[in-house]
Amino acid sequence: MFIDTLLIGISSGAIYSLMALALVLVWRSTRVVNFAQSGQAVLSTYIGYEISVSTHNYWISLPLAILVGAILGSLVDLLFMRLLMGRANSGPIAEIAPVIATLGLLGLIQSFVGLIWGNAFLHYASPLSGKGFSFGTHTIPFSPQNLFIVVASAVVLAIFGAIFKYTDLGLALRASSFQPEIAQLAGVRVSRVRNIGWAFAGSAGAVAGAVITPTSTLSPNSLDLLFVSGFIAAVIGGLDSLVGAVIGGLVLGVGFAFILQYIGGSVTFLVGFIILMAVLLARPRGIFGHKVNRRA
Amino acid sequence: MHSRHLSPLSRALLSLVVGVALLAASGFTGELRNYQGAQVAVYLVAIASIILLTGYSGQISLGHGAIMAIGGYGAALSFTLWNFPFEIALLFGVLVGTVGGFILGVAAARLSGPYLAGTTLALAVGLPSIADQFHLLGGEQGLNFDIGDPPRWVVRLEGSDFTQYKWFFWIATVVALIALWAITNLLHSSYGRNWRAGRNNSVAAGLAGINVAKGKVLAFTVSSALASLAGALFALLLGLVTPTAFPLSLSFAIVTGAVLAGVGNLAGSIVGGVVLVAIPEISGALTTHLGDSQKVSANLPGLVMSALLILVVLFMPNGLRIRKFKRAKKTT
Repeated sequence: MFIDTLLIGISSGAIYSLMALALVLVWRSTRVVNFAQSGQAVLSTYIGYEISVSTHNYWISLPLAILVGAILGSLVDLLFMRLLMGRANSGPIAEIAPVIATLGLLGLIQSFVGLIWGNAFLHYASPLSGKGFSFGTHTIPFSPQNLFIVVASAVVLAIFGAIFKYTDLGLALRASSFQPEIAQLAGVRVSRVRNIGWAFAGSAGAVAGAVITPTSTLSPNSLDLLFVSGFIAAVIGGLDSLVGAVIGGLVLGVGFAFILQYIGGSVTFLVGFIILMAVLLARPRGIFGHKVNRRA
Repeated sequence: MHSRHLSPLSRALLSLVVGVALLAASGFTGELRNYQGAQVAVYLVAIASIILLTGYSGQISLGHGAIMAIGGYGAALSFTLWNFPFEIALLFGVLVGTVGGFILGVAAARLSGPYLAGTTLALAVGLPSIADQFHLLGGEQGLNFDIGDPPRWVVRLEGSDFTQYKWFFWIATVVALIALWAITNLLHSSYGRNWRAGRNNSVAAGLAGINVAKGKVLAFTVSSALASLAGALFALLLGLVTPTAFPLSLSFAIVTGAVLAGVGNLAGSIVGGVVLVAIPEISGALTTHLGDSQKVSANLPGLVMSALLILVVLFMPNGLRIRKFKRAKKTT
């Protein structure tokens, strides 16, 4: 029983990590928490669904959904965030403008998705079985699709980790987020690099949406709770740490799985709120967050 | 920032005149309009709570729907459990919400920007589940808050055709005006000035001897009192409270209303309240025009609301106020 719960927890934790990673990538590039992330992910998942319905092949739809997610992320930055950053930067609204604007974008995308596909629950089918692995007479809740979720998430996280650590692009991404002016002086095209950060974030969210949706159903709001979990995970890990996002996601996933198993499903988010509060009060920049220098 | 400085007394008189005029007007409008008028009043109080919190003290909350739920549950619980009269039940809801808001505010004062936004968001998602855990709170069915027919003195005063919706409108209007009057006075007092000073430059405010952290906790507490009042009224209009009556979208809607009102402009909460009630109405009419499809009717209000929100943030950061917007441009 303990192992079963742990495996399920790792599977959902992997998805939380992906969502948290998407939020961290945007936060690092633009200092904005992208509340529209679940909207972008749901739109790319709907497009993946549409492709899988017409081609009858999940494995074609998955990479295309990821590509759509990346393009969407890039477009949100180009068409929307740059305009916002240039305009709403004074007055009482300045501090909350990014939150409000991305919430507005979330609403816009979700209503748009609802207008096109309706609000009914759709099934984005994967060829992998959703039934748990069996060992003799014992069937565990962990299914091949869960295994695929863990593997896919691990691959994506490893790819992003490698890009950040070993490539020039990764160096430019890190430089642009911590010292944008110096990076610019050193010849990094900061705004282009930031845009790549948004595209990466969009693709990470798209992977999360496309691999988790076959285990449940697809609707305009189906990824909202995933976003909240991803956000809690990202904040626990410290909003600007990639490693923190992954660890935060896994800890939260396993924690939620045990709460679900031993206490009951309805209180999970209340416990999530309490964990979030406790972490933030002890360490206001998260566990793996970088300390900021004192102002003034 | 404030062009008109009325004394507290003249503000009270103004509220009284507006109140009497509105109550008299309710005699000439239909049932639906009266109910919508009551809704406007409820949203107005909720939006004012966000304006006070964000516009004056610089904090953000995406979880005020949860605080409204505390107010609604507090009121309904005291109404059903202890048979409190509804007036006292409303006050009890406010009391519970204020205590909850104080506890949350102590924690919130240490958080900023996206951290606070996310924490309150998690609260909005998590809190309704408490109702499922305790038998006392009625589980999925919720609690009854049906205040029944208008009392006899109103019927005697207004005649026997005095309907329940008109009574709701009266209650909500009177409560909203009192709340708005009290908050305006508060914002014009030293508390309001200290909040604004702390929001604009916390270091300078601290040097001037203002306890910024304490001010933030107080602002969150007062804002929660308002939100729980709105929640209690909201429950009264519904006639009951359930865990699903206060969804995440309610938290988003009141923040949207505050942005449309102009987050630094308390008087704008009226505009915000009207828009929140009018958008579903207008999109309903548009839907019929567009051929009444299920997809359109379910999603058009959200689409209009989101588009309006984005346009206001980008192009009218002071809210839907043409006159004020122009003047601000001239002075800078």
